[in-house]
Amino acid sequence: MTEDKIKNLLQKADQTAGGPVPVSVDLSAVHRRANRRHVANLAFRITAAAVVVTALGTWSYTAKKTRDRQRIVALETQIKQLRTQTDATLNFIREVLEEDRKQRRLNELRTQLASYSDPLQEIRKQVDKTAFILVYQANRMYRELDQKDSAIKAYNRVIELFPQSRWAEEARQRLSEIQNNQLNNSKGDLI
Amino acid sequence: MVMAGTIDDELLVKQFNQGNESAFDRIVEEHSADIAVLANRLLGWPGDVEDTVQDVFLAAFLGLKKFRCECSIKTWLFTITINKCRSHRYKRMLYLRFFSQPADKASAVGAHAKGKTQMDDETFHRVRRAVAALPPKYREPVVLRYLQELGTDETARILDISKNALQVRLSRARERLRQDLAELIAQ
Repeated sequence: MTEDKIKNLLQKADQTAGGPVPVSVDLSAVHRRANRRHVANLAFRITAAAVVVTALGTWSYTAKKTRDRQRIVALETQIKQLRTQTDATLNFIREVLEEDRKQRRLNELRTQLASYSDPLQEIRKQVDKTAFILVYQANRMYRELDQKDSAIKAYNRVIELFPQSRWAEEARQRLSEIQNNQLNNSKGDLI
Repeated sequence: MVMAGTIDDELLVKQFNQGNESAFDRIVEEHSADIAVLANRLLGWPGDVEDTVQDVFLAAFLGLKKFRCECSIKTWLFTITINKCRSHRYKRMLYLRFFSQPADKASAVGAHAKGKTQMDDETFHRVRRAVAALPPKYREPVVLRYLQELGTDETARILDISKNALQVRLSRARERLRQDLAELIAQ
């Protein structure tokens, strides 16, 4: 019921408003606008394609540039790391070489030290040699030069200076020999 | 009648697709008056009917090659008209909101036809305002069903909604109109 009333009311209002002013569709205008729209569409597509191509080009260029930059940064980082590693390795090698050099020097010094004779031994040798020379000279004085007194003095000197050496013993024997000879000579003279 | 109309439509579309543009002239000749009336009603007694009709036929000219004849050309043109009126109203609303002076609105309201015979000015304006105040989704079913007097199937098809949705929208539109025009309905 209400629907009919509303419908009637609307239809009355529609009749009151009257129909539209007679419309004449301008077909030439429709064709013109259609052509314009077609051209505009074409232009839009071409522009859009150009924009897309440009954007892709720019994007590709930018992406390539970014990639290159990233690659450069990565390479720089790698170079830094390698340099650090190399420095560390070189330092290590230097330390090892230094250690090796020290070791070798130490060995050399040890060898050198080992090659040196014992100074006490040397002194003993020298002492022994000196004692021998003295005894040898005393022997010559006694036997070849017949300088008995000088020989006895020399033997005594050996005994005095090198009492522990074997040449001191030798000197004592010579002295006793000399004394014995003197005794024998004096006995012979008495007889 | 409907079958004959559809066959006729198919023939016209076929001719147009074959490059015979006079087929389109026939379509315009046949349907321009109906389109003008519908646009006038949708735009709220009166509106910029001429521009809207031109836009409708321009869209039809551009889209006719893609028309599959699944409905009549009239139904298809009504669908286009609905869409064009929606965008026209939206543009006019934006224009009035940002650029117009109050006088523009007054002149737009007062510019209805001279031949009023059924209703006094005040009642007409109340009805007009009530219909104009309906949101498009309620106003369009009301115009198609009660003023164009189209069937439920065709209206649902034009609006691209189900019949149930159409009934719901009509019911809600009636409820709003009943509230706005309660005194007039009671008379």
